[in-house]
Amino acid sequence: MLIVRDLTKIFGDRSDSKAGGVRDFSFELPPGTFFTLLGPSGCGKTTTLRCIAGLERPDAGVIRVGDITLHDSETGTSVPMNRRGIGMVFQSYAIWPHMTVFENVAFPLRVAKDRRYGREEIRTLVVEALGTVGLGGYADRPATRLSGGQQQRVALARAIVHKPRLLLLDEPLSNLDASLREEMRIELRRLQQQIGLTTVYVTHDQAEALAMSDLIAVMELGRVAQMDEPRAIYFRPANEFVARFIGAANLLHGVCEAAAGPGDRGAVTLDDGARIGCIFPAGGVAGRAVTVSLRPESLAISTHRDLDASNTLAGTVIAGSFLGGSARYDVQVNQRILRVSAPSDQIFAIGSVVSLTFSLDSAVVVG
Amino acid sequence: MNNALADPRVIIAVGVGAVLVALMVPPLWMLMQDSVTTTDAFGDITGFTLQHFQKLVIEKRALISLWNSLLFAAGSTVLSLLTGGILAWLVERTNAPLKVLAYLVAIISMGTPYVLHVIAWLFLLGKVGPLNDLWRQMTGETGVLFNVNSMAGMILIEGFLWSPLVFLLLGSTFRNANADMEEAARMSGASVLDTLRRISLPLAMPSLLALALFVFIRAIGGFEVPALVGMPGRIYVLTTDVYESTVTVPPDLGHAAAFSIVMVAIVAVLLAFYGRLSRNAERYHSITGKGFRPRPFDLGRGRWIAGGLIVLNFVVVLLLPLLTLGWMSLLPFLRSISLAGMASLTLKNYRAVFTAHGYVDLAINSLLVAAGSATAIMAITALAGWIAGRNGPGGRILDQLATLSLVFPGICLGVAVMEVWLRVPLPIYGTLWIIGIAYVIRYMPFGMRYVYSAVLQLHRELEEAASVAGAGTMTTLRRIVAPLLTPALVAGWLFIFLIANKELAIAVLLASPHSQVIAVAIFDQWVNGQGGELAAFGLIWTVLMTIIATVFFVFTRRGGVDVYGN
Repeated sequence: MLIVRDLTKIFGDRSDSKAGGVRDFSFELPPGTFFTLLGPSGCGKTTTLRCIAGLERPDAGVIRVGDITLHDSETGTSVPMNRRGIGMVFQSYAIWPHMTVFENVAFPLRVAKDRRYGREEIRTLVVEALGTVGLGGYADRPATRLSGGQQQRVALARAIVHKPRLLLLDEPLSNLDASLREEMRIELRRLQQQIGLTTVYVTHDQAEALAMSDLIAVMELGRVAQMDEPRAIYFRPANEFVARFIGAANLLHGVCEAAAGPGDRGAVTLDDGARIGCIFPAGGVAGRAVTVSLRPESLAISTHRDLDASNTLAGTVIAGSFLGGSARYDVQVNQRILRVSAPSDQIFAIGSVVSLTFSLDSAVVVG
Repeated sequence: MNNALADPRVIIAVGVGAVLVALMVPPLWMLMQDSVTTTDAFGDITGFTLQHFQKLVIEKRALISLWNSLLFAAGSTVLSLLTGGILAWLVERTNAPLKVLAYLVAIISMGTPYVLHVIAWLFLLGKVGPLNDLWRQMTGETGVLFNVNSMAGMILIEGFLWSPLVFLLLGSTFRNANADMEEAARMSGASVLDTLRRISLPLAMPSLLALALFVFIRAIGGFEVPALVGMPGRIYVLTTDVYESTVTVPPDLGHAAAFSIVMVAIVAVLLAFYGRLSRNAERYHSITGKGFRPRPFDLGRGRWIAGGLIVLNFVVVLLLPLLTLGWMSLLPFLRSISLAGMASLTLKNYRAVFTAHGYVDLAINSLLVAAGSATAIMAITALAGWIAGRNGPGGRILDQLATLSLVFPGICLGVAVMEVWLRVPLPIYGTLWIIGIAYVIRYMPFGMRYVYSAVLQLHRELEEAASVAGAGTMTTLRRIVAPLLTPALVAGWLFIFLIANKELAIAVLLASPHSQVIAVAIFDQWVNGQGGELAAFGLIWTVLMTIIATVFFVFTRRGGVDVYGN
């Protein structure tokens, strides 16, 4: 459906590696995919989105929707942004304050160049779009008298009213408060599946990305760090950056003991001498230095000492905090501090000696 | 009660309030009193009368002046909004080339006295000027193609005078507009023209209307163009009528005062509208997204036409007047631009400017008065603006007092201040002091505007943190507020300094042969036909002021203090 190939758009000084933008980004989305660009600010996710929208002109690359080429730097093709047939929701919603809700949503139909919409047709389509986003009955409100959540729904209705081929969402939830954000997360996903619209979503919030997406591209400094489905991103991070950015994993350094094929299990000797069993998603070479990712929630903490069991580390609790649904402990294991997430009904006093156990599959070699 | 007295803010408010009352109230009171009383030869009040107002209604001339004023202000508002507005949009929102020229025009105009611009235009479009000269040579006629001393000439010159300011003000409106709004329209399928017509313009409309009203108010009170262009053609507006009835012998101050009261009333009503409009404009400001620079509209091949317009503006508004002044300054006497004239080019005028005592004294006088009043204003408004911005004791009253003089057109304030200080037994009349006092009254609102908006942008918690840390009011003011307000204070100071040296209307009635300032001196010399020296002096002065204007411009741009005294 959406094909992006070798997309490059660099801002500022080209020789400067820290310059913003995106480099050589390629992906292909089947119809109906909810695709999320995830990363910290300045990673190039918004640039990618704006290139697809036509708001920025790429330095190089191809953008295609279905069999229509929107942009091709080789041939110099570039469809103007207003002819791309794309729906977009802006971070600020960009609801025009001088129009009613109805007029805001009707706008794409009124300015359409490829066909003329009749009065009745416009009314029908706008009412339908407002109904879809749950704002039936708000049509005649002035746009200035809407809450943040309502503005967001109007922006969404405006983006889908002309039945676009592609929907672009630029951090649409970041201006909402926490509870509304969670509600809209589910709502957006439900809507997207109901309409079956291919969607590109930009966010820096990993929870949003994991909850809503079919496919996630984690981006760092203009490049893709990992592109995969949410579970794979979470459980099999491809590198340190992804492991750290998603779910704040503990990273342990060590040496691979024996050669392992992709997906094999094997052993790693950590730099403090402990041996642990790990999974090697990308394979391993004997004697090579590796980094192992251990998620806080995959570490089981207990005062029960069973050092003979495999994958057990002994340590001392040095800090703890109660978070309601869970508790978080910092446990010192030799020279390193591991972050551990535990059920909140278990209490470990600071200074108590504990053991941490984890399954072999949860220790992932990330590079 | 004791607590209130112990609050240093109350003491500050009372002190500043007293100064403001002493400055602002007497002129207004004096105008009202003069307009309804008769006086004897010594200026003492002999009785109450409504004859001044009756005369205004009965005399046809008053109505004609009023009509002329409205026509003049409306025409020049439309012209300056069209030229400045189109230019601002091209420069701020499109990929037109040569944008730097537009800024050059704005900055240099900021430093040039209005009266100098007007004189250059008078010469350009005048009977012996190059335009009519060319026409005569081409057609063999003996008359003129364009009579500059007409309403059309007045509107044209006043319009050009205001277009650089319109450019700057609308420029910041366009620059700060939420680009998402336009991009959303483009993503919805709208073309550039559709977007402009259905989104950009309606969104800018409140700001546009507010600015139009602002220019209209300033043009109603404008004096330079009506005096230099209109009066020789026997076209009178309200300001020149006030001027005439003040300078005729014997002066008809009752008439001038009544006229002034009418103008003040008109301006007050317009200002009330203006306040409502600009509040309206603010309502359209919405949440902005991340700081993506708005992508300029791609004009395609049209960008060269846009570049042409920018060059045209540069040539017409800046280059032609400057070249004209240059020509005038190099000739021993005023004559039309021709090859024959080249032979008599001389630097005599420049020598005169540097050797004759008068000019250097004049320059020093002007700089002193402007700097002194700017300093006084910023000192007063720093305190008043802070109290008003923080809703301190009497804040609203202080704000209204400090901005009261907005209702005075410059010439009316001149009359009022003259009247006040003729009656005060202090030897101030006829010295530079009276001009300084008039400047302080006149430009106080600008200082207030700078400080007030800066205080509003200053997070209240910064001061509260200082208080919690143990600082008293005065310490907080000195250590926290003053340093953080410094950019606004400097910007305000520079703005007042520049505009005080630009405007003619206030000082024209207050200056005496011993206490001249620049704009008045240029005006007098033009009236006396000493075009060459005044042009030479004016050009040198313009260079000096352009340097200061550049500092102001760079400073406000960098500090984000985007106020130009509107």
